[in-house]
Amino acid sequence: MTREVIIKSNKYGINLILDDHLPFEELLTLIGEKFKETGSFFKDAKMAISFEGRQLTNKEQLDIADRIMENSSIQIVSIIDSNKDLEELMRERVEAYEQPQPEPMVSYMNPQDMGMQGMDIPPTADFYKGNLRSGQTLECASSVTLIGDVNPGARIVSEGNIVVLGSLKGNAYAGASGDDSCFIFALDMKPIQLQIGDLIAKSPDKEKGSFRTRKKGKTEGSQYSPQIAVVRDGFICIEPMTKGCLDRL
Amino acid sequence: MSEVIVVTSGKGGVGKTTTTANVGTGLAMLNKKVVMIDTDIGLRNLDVVLGLENRIVYNLVDVIEGKCRLKQALIKHKKYPELCLLPSAQTRDKDAVTPEQMIQLIEELKQEFDYILLDCPAGIEQGFKNAIAGADRALVVTTPEVSAIRDADRIVGLLEANEMKKIDLIINRIRMDMVKRGDMLKVEDVCDILSINLIGVVPDDEQIVVSTNQGEPLVGTDCMAGEAYYNICKRVMGEEVPFMDLDAKKGVLNAFFKMFKK
Repeated sequence: MTREVIIKSNKYGINLILDDHLPFEELLTLIGEKFKETGSFFKDAKMAISFEGRQLTNKEQLDIADRIMENSSIQIVSIIDSNKDLEELMRERVEAYEQPQPEPMVSYMNPQDMGMQGMDIPPTADFYKGNLRSGQTLECASSVTLIGDVNPGARIVSEGNIVVLGSLKGNAYAGASGDDSCFIFALDMKPIQLQIGDLIAKSPDKEKGSFRTRKKGKTEGSQYSPQIAVVRDGFICIEPMTKGCLDRL
Repeated sequence: MSEVIVVTSGKGGVGKTTTTANVGTGLAMLNKKVVMIDTDIGLRNLDVVLGLENRIVYNLVDVIEGKCRLKQALIKHKKYPELCLLPSAQTRDKDAVTPEQMIQLIEELKQEFDYILLDCPAGIEQGFKNAIAGADRALVVTTPEVSAIRDADRIVGLLEANEMKKIDLIINRIRMDMVKRGDMLKVEDVCDILSINLIGVVPDDEQIVVSTNQGEPLVGTDCMAGEAYYNICKRVMGEEVPFMDLDAKKGVLNAFFKMFKK
């Protein structure tokens, strides 16, 4: 096994980790050989490519892409020069290329409604209106605000923060790329599960007879109490949303 | 102008077939031409609930496969000649029909009937897809149980994704005594979760079991569930009907008062 070229791939693209010291020509030959060996594995895939471990000029990047296409049946549709939120970027590029059937990020929802079609660079925050129902998933590469409810069985995933202006009764996953400084906010916080970064928390198990008391409690004070979930000392904590809470974020 | 309504729920056993039979019969009582289609191929029972089992000669699959004419397969109801049933096949399965064929069939039925009611099978597979294909309106039936509500929520999501124009909710088998004790979800709680328009609440009623077994829908009869279904029919037709008080106590004294009111 040569360590000079390492190929990592996901569904939408390839990430090449290249040795920094090898002369470029030598590297190019190595890449050619490597893809000749493994190229059949990728079949006629349309993929994006990115590089790591070595600064490359634009021409060098193009040379590498050409070499890969010569030695395998992979179609490189885009070159991504940085390695930030890679899969997301790769996926968007590939999907932008395959316009006829853009896979909406929200299953079962009209992509136009969700404003996700043909978006090239993920914006810093997204807004969505409507309820997420059981079986539906909303995935975002950025922070997300949902105006509506997340019902039990639905899931909202974001690489940034999540704000639910409504009831959160399903699952929420903030900081999906592993960032545990993210928060989840909801006007009515009754989640089944919360995930922030690599941490996961489940709702407390129902005590016997709690159904009755809970219902009674709800009739008395049916107004929402906004709450926020953050990570403190390696645990996900749900706190009431107060001004002091805002300052600590 | 005919309307195609699918009765669906996701979960089984919440009362789709009973609702279809009662709403269909109720609409016929209100002088509408109604056809009910049982799309639960392989597990048919709308015909049993309507008491028309013994009249089946041809079925939905026969029509679609061209083995008979549509007219031959339609079964007229005993009491209401304006009410027809298109039964499903018992010996086949859901894949015997495609959504395109259903749409075509419904287009044909639209020429003749005011209301086309589709009894949807439980689940979200082929049978569900067939049933909702030609519909422009849905009645989602649920019971006040978390499992049924969860499934109903999923169904509403799928219906919205399929661009169903109008989705209404029927809450079935509610027991006001249990709600009062706090042991059952309230109507408001269910509406809160599903956030769609409520078109009717049907109380749990022993009479339903009796009527189902006898094959005579109880819509319009003098019992709570019968009244509730009759109100739903009127609301389906666009009338504004106030929701009835399900809490009214039954008893000799009450019946006495009722007599005076009349």
